[in-house]
Amino acid sequence: MSGNILIFTILTGISGGIITALIPKKADKQRKVVTLITTLLTAVFVWLQIPSALQGSAPVIYGSIGTMHWRLQPDPLGIIFAVIASTLWVVTAVYSFGYMKHSEYQRNFYTFYLFSLAVTMGIALSANLFLLYVFYELLTFTTYPLVIHYRNEESLKAGNRYILYSLVGAGFILAALVTTAIWTGGNLNFSTVPLLTNIGKKPGIVFVLIAFIIGFGVKAAVMPIHRWLPAAMVAPTPVSALLHAVSVVYSGVYGILRVVYSVFGHELMGQLNLSNGLLLIASFTILVGVFIATKQDVLKRRLAYHTISQLSYILLGAFTLQPWGLTGAILHMISYSMLKVTLFFCAGIIAEQTGETKVSRMTGVGWALPKTMTAFGIASLGMIGMLPLNTFWSKYYLMKGSTAGGKWPFALVLIGSGIINAVCFIPTVVTAFRGEKVRSNAEQGGNVTLMLAPTLVLATAALFIGLWPGVVWPGVEAVVNWFF
Amino acid sequence: MLLVILTIIPLIGALILYFTKDKSINIPLIISAVVIILACLGLGSVFKGVPITYKIPLSGPFVPTFHADALSVIFVMLASFLWFVVSIYAPEYMKHEGRAKTFELCTLLTLSAVLGVFLAGDLFTMLLFFELMTITSYFWVIHKWNEEAIRAGYFYLFFSIIGGLLIALGIVLMGEATDVLPAIGAGFVTPLNSPMFAWSIALFVAGFGIKAGMVPLHLWLPHAHSVSPTPGSALLSGLLIKVGAYGLIRVGELAGWGMKLSSGIKFGPGLAVLGICTMLVGVAAALLQSDAKRLLAYHSVSQMGYIILGIGITLYFNGESVLGLTGAIYHTVNHALFKSALFLGIGIIILRTGEQNLYKMGGLWRKFPLTALLVLIAVLGITGAPGLNGYASKTVLHHAVSEAAHTNSSLMIWIERLFLVVGVGTTASFAKLFYLAFLGKPNSKLKINKGNNRLLMTPMIVLSLVMLIIGFMPQLFIDKLAVPALKSLGFSTNLFGQITDIDFWTAADLQGMFITLILGIAFCGLGLKTGLFHWKPPIWLSIEALAKTVLVGFNQAVSFCGHAVQITGRWFKQSLYRFYSSLMMLSTSLDYNTNNNKTTSVSFSNLNFSTGIIITILFLVFIFYLF
Repeated sequence: MSGNILIFTILTGISGGIITALIPKKADKQRKVVTLITTLLTAVFVWLQIPSALQGSAPVIYGSIGTMHWRLQPDPLGIIFAVIASTLWVVTAVYSFGYMKHSEYQRNFYTFYLFSLAVTMGIALSANLFLLYVFYELLTFTTYPLVIHYRNEESLKAGNRYILYSLVGAGFILAALVTTAIWTGGNLNFSTVPLLTNIGKKPGIVFVLIAFIIGFGVKAAVMPIHRWLPAAMVAPTPVSALLHAVSVVYSGVYGILRVVYSVFGHELMGQLNLSNGLLLIASFTILVGVFIATKQDVLKRRLAYHTISQLSYILLGAFTLQPWGLTGAILHMISYSMLKVTLFFCAGIIAEQTGETKVSRMTGVGWALPKTMTAFGIASLGMIGMLPLNTFWSKYYLMKGSTAGGKWPFALVLIGSGIINAVCFIPTVVTAFRGEKVRSNAEQGGNVTLMLAPTLVLATAALFIGLWPGVVWPGVEAVVNWFF
Repeated sequence: MLLVILTIIPLIGALILYFTKDKSINIPLIISAVVIILACLGLGSVFKGVPITYKIPLSGPFVPTFHADALSVIFVMLASFLWFVVSIYAPEYMKHEGRAKTFELCTLLTLSAVLGVFLAGDLFTMLLFFELMTITSYFWVIHKWNEEAIRAGYFYLFFSIIGGLLIALGIVLMGEATDVLPAIGAGFVTPLNSPMFAWSIALFVAGFGIKAGMVPLHLWLPHAHSVSPTPGSALLSGLLIKVGAYGLIRVGELAGWGMKLSSGIKFGPGLAVLGICTMLVGVAAALLQSDAKRLLAYHSVSQMGYIILGIGITLYFNGESVLGLTGAIYHTVNHALFKSALFLGIGIIILRTGEQNLYKMGGLWRKFPLTALLVLIAVLGITGAPGLNGYASKTVLHHAVSEAAHTNSSLMIWIERLFLVVGVGTTASFAKLFYLAFLGKPNSKLKINKGNNRLLMTPMIVLSLVMLIIGFMPQLFIDKLAVPALKSLGFSTNLFGQITDIDFWTAADLQGMFITLILGIAFCGLGLKTGLFHWKPPIWLSIEALAKTVLVGFNQAVSFCGHAVQITGRWFKQSLYRFYSSLMMLSTSLDYNTNNNKTTSVSFSNLNFSTGIIITILFLVFIFYLF
């Protein structure tokens, strides 16, 4: 396979976005067709690259701008991110056809939806820190219009906050990036050997690491710098589901994984002795995030704080610097994304069909929307880490990674978080099924079917992976073998 | 393959039930009969010492394994038998409770999960079915959907979830301690890391202990078992808590019965103490109950204590004595029989009178003569009257306890004394139950609905017959079932003389039992006369109140912290604003005065790209300064 497929993967989204923008405002149907085709094509391109990327012999394309080299080539970690993102983009596209039907600014929505897809693919496929940074920056700007979708005061404010946080973070990354480039003599290409291996314990290297982690940590919503994420929940639900539970926040997490394993490498990280501190920050975020989530009454805000907590699961796994910890992190990236999108989809259906956004007022919603609330219940069990769901496996390996590194208290953090997760979601589901059993046709009609189908598909897929984790195992194994 | 089919049959039944419109077919009954027949035909060979193992060949970390040895087959037969008899009872009862279809669906799904736990061949498969069992049986508990049921449901679900998480952590530590996860039924694996292995065992004990209602993790049990519909209570108390006991036995097996644990950590005495505490707490609470189903539920706690004590004593002897374990397995089976019979019997009364309060019943033997007789048989069974099954297992357990007491450990001597006290307490509380419900003065206000009780009493008759058979031939169970089970658990054959040679009909044992019975009845009379049973324990004595205090305190502490963070955050933000505006003022005054004093009201939400660049440059300078 030639390197052109990489260009196609990225260009599909961009050209799809341009076509969508050119389609007249009234022609909703054509726009949906273009959106679906674009997302499907991108997903197909990404899926085609899986076998070669997992073997480490993916197609490659590279060049340079002046003295700055760039290079596109998915390695196992990149391809896993690309597969998660591109697949969920298709699913969310179908959902948004139902959700956005009566919404304003549809042209704007779908255009930037596709641009964001292209940029996310760029992040996933780039095998170069500089290119990664460029795409990471671009993602802020292509997703900004989606955050301020409703153009009201609240969303503009949220948008401001989003831009502010992201740009300050980007500044930190740029500083660290430049320093790294100076140290390595301009070579920023990722390979199995981490970039800074030969540099060793240089003075100031700790600051570079911290700058990287602050920079990427903004999008990964690490606790002191997380506040843009709950604010950004004013966006339409498909955006909250896809961008603020998965792709944008995952780009931050992915960046940190890259920094830890591709730039510094686990050996150098071990020498720096920062692991405990980073683990503490991650565990603080895990516990406090989910605890704040239990106190939120608006369902989407509750999910947002819960996202903050769950993202740090992945970081916790990465910071253990253990093969099992990384296994857990990658598994959690895969499994958590499916369940969280399910949860957000359910929240969207509830808000659209019954108008309820507050948990305390959801009494009896379950009888009106039985399938939705069943999916919600299944996803909730997954968030606790119960076995028939795929998140059990990620949690298991995260705990295994913590104990293998001799850091068993962090395994207890995960147990505690599981219990708080139960407090957070179980009453929501139970409350929904209380009260009078009223037959309603809230789950009938084309709109709801378009929203319900992706939700149920994702919940089923999560159950399936939970029962047969071997489906995703080769990918996870490839990543771990790549870095260890 | 048969093992997988056994767990899948109830699922198929559930599917059929879901799609069928015909209400006249009793699908759970048929399904459990099919399971019994298949198990009898296919699993008999395990008693000859040939375990069956089947792996579902899946790639990846999870290879579901099924394993059947004599111990698991005993439990499988027990489960399917109980499901069979309760399914005879359920349709008639659920007519009055309503939403029978949901209940039957849960019954079938739970059967599948329970069989899965008993037939699991590795820890992951066991945990999988264990969690599924939690979820499916949860719907029994909240069947009524009223305030009380939902509260009980929360108790049940949260305790079970915590149990599942503890077991998961136990598996993690086990994997770390032994490198390769030991399979169930494979016996002892020498750990590489003894302390971690010991912690893992402790976590397993806690996790399964929650299901088994071990003190202090029993809080959920009385709520959940009393609020669910009676057939559900019968199965919850009869079988689901036995899953915890089964898990504990398997954990004992993993630990090699304490034989080879080199770390010097002894689980035996600890487990025995927990067992005796469970017995005492259960029986003491049961004496004070006025609600019939709650009384029975607390007795489940107490009787599970006997089982835990039995396992603890075998661990105490480092696997050198099998009396305790045999007693535990024996009592598991017996308790399942008489406790479900008791629930079913009380269920008939509740169904026909609509009354759960014992003090409002009375003299009911006139209206329900046969029910009274059947309940009496079960009561005699649970109190350990000779001639019934309870006597057999309690005798074995008593032998185990007195053997332990002969080692001159003061702990074990005390345990033996308390063992007798619990026996008296059990008799007293059941004398109270039977006296208040069936004897005593009839309550004229009680309205009795007429109905055909024949179908409701059939399962009780079956259960009573089995109890009588075991009671009169106590040796039969030991020879045919307990010995192969112990063999499969890895005990050496020269220990089996201890149990095969037990004489159940010695004068000393019989005399002891009669004294217990008489003392119990006397205590009951005393308690009823003096109103001792109406004593309400002070609020601070209940663990729930304590937990509530802790939770409220925690909540307040957290909200205090939240406020503190908010206030500091606000202060920080304000000082940042002040700093920023003074900086801006400074820079504008350096530039030129626009006569515009609005700079003080600069807010962060108006920050733009240039600020980002400024901060970036500042940071760059900072980095370069370092070299």
